Amino acid sequence: MHLVRDVLDKKLMDREDCPMGRVGGLVMHVGESGPPRVTHILVGGPTLWMRIHPALGRLSSALGQMWGPRRKEPAKIPWSRVETVGREVKLDVEGKDTGALDWEIWVARHIIEHIPGGGSEEEE
Amino acid sequence: MKKILQLSLGIITSVGGFLEIGSVTTAAQAGAQFGYKLLWAILLGTLCLIFLIEMSGRLAAVSKHTIVDAIRERFGFPFFFFVLLGTVLVAFMVLVAELGGIGFALQILTGIRFPWWALPVSFVVWLLMWKGTFSLIENGASLLGLVTVSFVVAALRLNPDWTSAASGLLPTLPDDDKSKYWFLAVSILGASISPYLTFFYSSGAIEDKWDRTYLPINRVIAAFGMTFGGLLSMAVLIVAALALRPKGIQVETFQQAALMMTTALPKWGFYLFALSMLFACFGAALEISLAISYFFSQGFGWNWSEDVEPSSDARFAFVYTLIIGFAAVPLMFGVDPIKITMMSMALTSATLPLAIVPFLFLMNDPIYLGKHRNGWISNTVVGVVILISFVLAVVSIPLEIMGG
Amino acid sequence: MEVNVELLIGKKVHDADGNKVGRIEEFRVTETDKACTLDAYLIGASALIQRLSAWTLVRPISRALRSSNVYSVYEVPWQDMDLTDPDRPKLRIAKADLRRAR
Repeated sequence: MHLVRDVLDKKLMDREDCPMGRVGGLVMHVGESGPPRVTHILVGGPTLWMRIHPALGRLSSALGQMWGPRRKEPAKIPWSRVETVGREVKLDVEGKDTGALDWEIWVARHIIEHIPGGGSEEEE
Repeated sequence: MKKILQLSLGIITSVGGFLEIGSVTTAAQAGAQFGYKLLWAILLGTLCLIFLIEMSGRLAAVSKHTIVDAIRERFGFPFFFFVLLGTVLVAFMVLVAELGGIGFALQILTGIRFPWWALPVSFVVWLLMWKGTFSLIENGASLLGLVTVSFVVAALRLNPDWTSAASGLLPTLPDDDKSKYWFLAVSILGASISPYLTFFYSSGAIEDKWDRTYLPINRVIAAFGMTFGGLLSMAVLIVAALALRPKGIQVETFQQAALMMTTALPKWGFYLFALSMLFACFGAALEISLAISYFFSQGFGWNWSEDVEPSSDARFAFVYTLIIGFAAVPLMFGVDPIKITMMSMALTSATLPLAIVPFLFLMNDPIYLGKHRNGWISNTVVGVVILISFVLAVVSIPLEIMGG
Repeated sequence: MEVNVELLIGKKVHDADGNKVGRIEEFRVTETDKACTLDAYLIGASALIQRLSAWTLVRPISRALRSSNVYSVYEVPWQDMDLTDPDRPKLRIAKADLRRAR
C-alpha cells in the first residue's frame, strides 16, 4: 500500500457509513529501533493549512480556538481503528465521538437549525 | 425510460453554459457587430464542452467520485486549494452576474430597477436550494429553461441566409475592429467552457446515483444537452445579426439586447426575451450556487446532497447560504451585472488551465476508470482544450483591456 | 519521535555525502493486523508520476521522446533514512548504494 496515493486525502467513513471528512494528515512514530509506524490519522483545518504554509496552519489553529467548537488540537484517530482502505478509508468508530465532525455539528446547531426549515439533529 | 429523463441534467447544465447572461450578451454583441462571423466560436465551445461533460459523467459513473473528489485525492490538498481559489472566485462573480440577469429581466417586465430585485431574487434562489431536492431543481430549471427555444423561433422567422450563416462556422477575420472580434471570440469561449459546468454535472451524476449502466446515456446527454445549448446560443447570434446589425445597434445594455426579439416577434418578442433570460439566469444561478457548494463540500469531505435536509449537511448548506447572500450585495448597490459578466468571462478564461489540466490526468487514471479510461480521441480533445485554455489565459486580460 | 507524513512530501533528500538524491514523493507501507509499518520511502520524479497514477499518460510520451530519465525512482528502506530533522531528511548511506525501484 502507498500512503499518499491510497490513504492521504481519502474520504473517511465511520462504522455507520457516515462521511466524517478526509484524511488531512498522518502521524508516524519513528522509534529508536524497528520500522516507523503510522499511529494516527489527523482530520481538521490546521493540519490542512500546514500543508500549504506553517503560518497558515498556526493562523487556522488560533482562529479555531477563538470561535466554533474551539478545538485545541486536530481530531486524531488511532490507526488501529482502520478497518479497510479502499475507495474510502473505513473506520471502526462513531464519527461524532472522534471530534472530526465537531465543526459540522457546531454549524448545524448554531446556524442551520436556527433558520426555518433547517431541520434538527434528532438522532444522537 | 428513467435514464432518458436524465436528459434534464444535460439541459440544465447547458443552460448554465450557453444561455446565461454572459453567453447571451456576448452572442448578441457578436451578432450585432460581426454578423455570422463568430458562429465558429460557439461551435468550438460546444464541441469542447460535449467532450468535457461526457468525461465528467463517465468519471462519476465509473469511479463514484466527482471531479472535485478526484482532484483532492489525486493531487492533494495544496493543489486542490489553488484550484478552489481560482475557480470559486470566478464562479462567484458569475453568480453575481446571473442574479443581476434575473433582476434585469424583472426590470424589463415590471419597470422596477434591478437593484430592488437583488434581495428578493437571492432569497428565492436560496429558498429553492434550502427546501428543494436535486430532482426538483434539475427538472424544474430545465423545463422552465425551454422557454429559450423562443430564440430559435425568432431566428427561423427572420429567414436567415443559411449559406451565409454556415460560412460563419469557419473562422474568418473581419475587416476592422479586430481586437473587439478576438475579445468577443475569447469571451464566447470563456462563457461556454466554464469549469463549474463539469463540477456540477459530475455532482449531478452522483446525486442521481449513476453507475456504469449510465455510460451510454451519458454520451447521449452530453451530446444532446450541449448541442441544445450551443444551437440556442447560435440562434441568439443569428437573431442579433439580422435584427440589430442592419440598424447599427450595438449591444451595450441589456435593454438593447432585448430589442433583438421584437423584429421577429413584434407582439411578444420583448417579453419572451425577458422571460427567457429570467428562467435561464435562474437555472444558471442555481447551478453555480450548487457547483460552488459542491466544490467546498467534496474537496473538504463534508456531507453534501440536495436531497437531505440542511441540518444533515450543515456546512454544505452554510456555504450556499453565505455565497447567495454575499452575491446580492454588489447588485443592491447598483453594480452593473453586464460589467461583472464581461470581467468574469475574461477571468474564467485566465483560470481555465487550472481546472482543465487535472482532467487529462484523471481521465487516464486506471484506478478510477479501469477500462473506461480515455482513448486517443478524447485525450487529443483534452489536449486541444488545454492548448486553447492556455492561449485564452494569456490573451484574455489584455484583450479585455483593449477590446472590451 | 512523531513526524507528520503529509509534511514530508516534497522534502528534498540528500545522501550521507551531501549529494542531492531527490524529493520524497511516496511511502510504501505494509498493513498488518491493526498496524501500519513503513517499508520504504520512494524518491524521484517517477514516484510522483506513480502517485498521480499517471503512467498510462507519461509512458507513451516518454517512449516517443525516447527519454529514460523519467524512469528513475529511488527506494530508500526505512532504516537508511535519518529523520532527526524532518525538514532536512538525509540518507545514512551514499546515493550510489541505493536501489533503483521500478
